[in-house]
Amino acid sequence: MSDVNLKSKENIQNSNAQQSQNLPKKEGGDSNVIEFENVSKIYQKDIKAVENVSFKISIGEFISLVGPSGAGKSTLIRLLTAEEKPTSGRIYVAGRDITQLKKNELPFYHRKVGVIFQDFKLLPRKTIYENVAFALEVADATNDEIADKVPKIIEIVGLTGRINAMTEELSGGEKQRVSIARALVHNPKLLIADEPTGNLDPVSTWEIIELLFKINRQGTIVLLASHDKEVVDTLERRVISMREGKIISDQEKGKYIL
Amino acid sequence: MTITSIFRILKTSLLSMWRNRWLSLAATLIMVLTLFTISFFLTLLIVSDKTTESLKSKVDISVYFNDSTSKDQIYALQNLLLSRSDIKSVEYISKEDALSLWRERNRDNEKLRNAISESDNPLPRSLEIKADKPENLEAVNTFLNSSDYKPLIREISYKKSKDIIDKMVRLTSLTKKVGWGVSALFILISVLIIYNTIRLTIYIRGEEIAIMKLVGASDFYIQGPFLFDGASYGIIGAVLTSVIFFIFNRISQPAVFNYLEIGNYSNYLSQYGFNNFGIILLFQIIVGLILGITCSVFAIKKHLK
Repeated sequence: MSDVNLKSKENIQNSNAQQSQNLPKKEGGDSNVIEFENVSKIYQKDIKAVENVSFKISIGEFISLVGPSGAGKSTLIRLLTAEEKPTSGRIYVAGRDITQLKKNELPFYHRKVGVIFQDFKLLPRKTIYENVAFALEVADATNDEIADKVPKIIEIVGLTGRINAMTEELSGGEKQRVSIARALVHNPKLLIADEPTGNLDPVSTWEIIELLFKINRQGTIVLLASHDKEVVDTLERRVISMREGKIISDQEKGKYIL
Repeated sequence: MTITSIFRILKTSLLSMWRNRWLSLAATLIMVLTLFTISFFLTLLIVSDKTTESLKSKVDISVYFNDSTSKDQIYALQNLLLSRSDIKSVEYISKEDALSLWRERNRDNEKLRNAISESDNPLPRSLEIKADKPENLEAVNTFLNSSDYKPLIREISYKKSKDIIDKMVRLTSLTKKVGWGVSALFILISVLIIYNTIRLTIYIRGEEIAIMKLVGASDFYIQGPFLFDGASYGIIGAVLTSVIFFIFNRISQPAVFNYLEIGNYSNYLSQYGFNNFGIILLFQIIVGLILGITCSVFAIKKHLK
């Protein structure tokens, strides 16, 4: 691969090289924003999707969640987004036990957790602007707020020039960037990326990862579930590995364990 | 719930109704049919009721005398009847009067008109008795049927009128039953169709709803458009029905009243607002909204949670 194509990958590597010279000291338990406490999710017929999982996440972390298919990554993510309730255990986010959230509180929680997926989940027949604005509209933002915020967020993901393009006209990488923009409208403290580069070519893959990297450096926790060994290894960040519902490894500067 | 938010769900609802326009059309059509049926039977009911009432009030007893009865005897009877408290008026119809009436009634039919001449007038003399209340006619009828007066009288017309009224009452009651039955049937059908339409729309918009939940949309934005869908079917159906029904009334009223030979029904119906477009519209809208929104609420409860 030529260097020009994978500039994004290089950017990440360079950034890591610089940072290792002045790595900020990790703080103690006070800055733990997310905590899984002996969480299990068991479906009927004893299918243990997630078994006795515990870990803590601090502000500003970038975590890769890896593991083979069926390891429990998606279930873990659904537990974190409160889409599912654990069979046992507790999940704390910003000090709140989200397993106790009432139905009418869920929308507000969802606004605080941005999620992007492998299949982008954009609204068809709408422009980039409309897709991003949508997230604000259904959260009762005023038209003025929307007109103000949306262009700024679209600029963060680098799509200002395409702001009026329809979903159907976008490439995979552009679609994912729109998804990211939409996920950012409420300034979430946590951004979850569930196999975001699964449908992307290598160049777009690295562009997206670089974007996530950038977002993380500005203070958002990023949880990246990925199959991509190269990405995980290049990131040089914390890696939580799962297999058959359990966490088999949790390393600060982890590598993708096969 | 601001104006902006209402506009937003309105936009969503209208867009989805347009995208699935055949579905929306079917739901609206069934709403029109139902509302029209209900209105139609209500009209029938009112007309039947009023006809019965009118007939009852018009009914009187006609007593036809044998030619052998003397004028004095007739006058005596007349005075006796007038002295009764339950009788309003007693009018004497002579043979000549009877002939005039005959000619008047058959003014369109020359043959019948000329069948009777002054020289050979078989029409009997009669007393036209009007009671103050239709219920009291029975008593008068009994009185007249007593042995004192039997030989004088050729015929008492009371029974015939009573039969007609009884028939009207039964007809009205039948109309009521049929009306309720058919209306209930249409309401049931429209409930099923509208409920199903909204359920289908929920399914069709499934992906969009999933995205809404993902970005933390409040229930208002998720459920609102569907409530509005139901309300729309109600309102649009109501407007269409009103126009059709109003035209229907305008056309059919003169024809029907001509046939029934009743002149002042317009008054009765106007009383109920049937000739006032505004009231027709209001009634349809209320019923339409209740139907539409109820279906929405149930569909949402069952399929959007």
